[in-house]
Amino acid sequence: MTDLNYILETILLLALPLVPVAVGIMLRRKFRPAAAAGGAAAEPGAKARKIGRLTGNILLWGGILGILFMIVVLLNFKGKI
Amino acid sequence: MRPMRLFPAVLLLALAGSCAFALEPVQWKDKDYAAQFKYFQEGGVYAEDTWAALSPEAQGTELRNAKDPAAGRQEEIRGYYASVMARWDSGKLRDYAAQTREEDVNIVRIWLGDARAAAMEKKLRVTRAMLDKAASDGLRDSDQAALSPYLTRQAISDLSGYKAASGLRRQAETASGNHEIPKAALTDTVQKVSGSLSQQTGNSVSKFFDGSNAKGDISDPVHLQGKYEIPKAVANSMAGGITGPVSKRVSGNVSGILNTRNAPAAAALKSAPPSPLTGSGLPPKDNKSASWTSDAYGYTVTANGQTQTFRDGKKAEAAIRQLPDGSVSKIILYGHGSPGMQTVGPNVYDAESTAALLKGKMAKGGVIQYSGCNTASIGGPSLNPAVGLSIVARRLLYFSLPYFQDRADGVPADQAKQQWEKGWNADLARDTSLGVKGAIVCGYRTFGLVPGRFPVVARLMGTQEATTPGYVAGKKACYQDGKEVPAP
Repeated sequence: MTDLNYILETILLLALPLVPVAVGIMLRRKFRPAAAAGGAAAEPGAKARKIGRLTGNILLWGGILGILFMIVVLLNFKGKI
Repeated sequence: MRPMRLFPAVLLLALAGSCAFALEPVQWKDKDYAAQFKYFQEGGVYAEDTWAALSPEAQGTELRNAKDPAAGRQEEIRGYYASVMARWDSGKLRDYAAQTREEDVNIVRIWLGDARAAAMEKKLRVTRAMLDKAASDGLRDSDQAALSPYLTRQAISDLSGYKAASGLRRQAETASGNHEIPKAALTDTVQKVSGSLSQQTGNSVSKFFDGSNAKGDISDPVHLQGKYEIPKAVANSMAGGITGPVSKRVSGNVSGILNTRNAPAAAALKSAPPSPLTGSGLPPKDNKSASWTSDAYGYTVTANGQTQTFRDGKKAEAAIRQLPDGSVSKIILYGHGSPGMQTVGPNVYDAESTAALLKGKMAKGGVIQYSGCNTASIGGPSLNPAVGLSIVARRLLYFSLPYFQDRADGVPADQAKQQWEKGWNADLARDTSLGVKGAIVCGYRTFGLVPGRFPVVARLMGTQEATTPGYVAGKKACYQDGKEVPAP
């Protein structure tokens, strides 16, 4: 059981940086930019959409950078780089 | 008006042009500054890349500072080379063959070029080979001819006579078995004799010293006949340190063995290798790295109101040990940390070794600062994301990986757990504070990010080899006698 506990913990910890990536993707989908309608007036809620999409982008790319950072830290710890 | 407008415009252009000209960088090994660049090269202060990284102003300053010392050094090396390439007598032959090092040749290469360094190398190679050959096989006419550009006639004839002396010694070896003399008596004799070396005794004396060791003791008793005088010079050279095979004797101290009347005293050094650079006119070597990444670490010790910084651990520890007790008001150990330990360059410190180093040296309320990641425990619950990141990294790096490694190596699960559960959250700062009573010991609960250590930034800031961290982004924790206290 001890081993299983720590395997689960390790998986959980390794999965943590994926959480912001998943949330970011979700937000980006939810706040997709509206199809450009030629000459149409600005759609209501366009500003909120923009903010939501920006947040999604930050979480997505921050998460990806976090994963890359952890890989670098791990490789450094193992003496590979 | 037009000419009046044109004049300032031309003047401005000319000034700008002259400024640009003045600030033009000097190429590495520029012929106009040959001596200075050789000086830098010998001192090891700059290489091509580190030189190019300097600003044109800094280059100009360095060149000006090095001008006079470089000219002096050049004269010194020229003089040295002239004496190396002059024909040697026996004494100089012995000295140069024994004393000249590869570094001396390299110095000549830097200052006088490859051709002269090669000529010097060739001379040393030939003369050393001939010394060995003179000891083992004797010199032939062709060998003597090969030596003629390098040695005086007298030195060549001395070297040729060496074979005869060693022949006599071999005779003595075979004849000595029948004779006996008390070992102690002969040793006393060797120590008391005085006189000068004559041709006859020089040839014969080797009989008495076969088998002698460094103290002049004789392992094989031999018979001492009254007609031989033992000259002091030979006794000294034979009994005082010649124990190895003949070839070694030759390279180290040949004049004592050569049966020559003119061999100079063995103690006089004739080769006079170039003195080491004193560093005048050279910039300090610290912080001259042109690396894009950082290799910053060091010790910063504040004692009696004075602050000293070190990169060399041995020097730092020696300096700390010399300080009076209770004098250190602050010490920063700057390097890389992990739970329970901190490195400063190649040196590793844990709570015990730090306490041993600083015990008694800290002033009351003095601060020991570990500037390394994870040098304190995680502490209580926190919303600080940096603490979260540190927890994740510690659990993975300092717990999971070693734990799984142990399990793979067959260590029982409970034992592996016990081992690593303690390790990941070790508190170096608290443990040290228990060992250095009264001092405030600080570490970081998180990663301690130093901006000056980031790649590229390090180069822009010139902090590649900084000894003090400056700003550290991290959550600091301080302890005094094992209890957490506010950061001073």
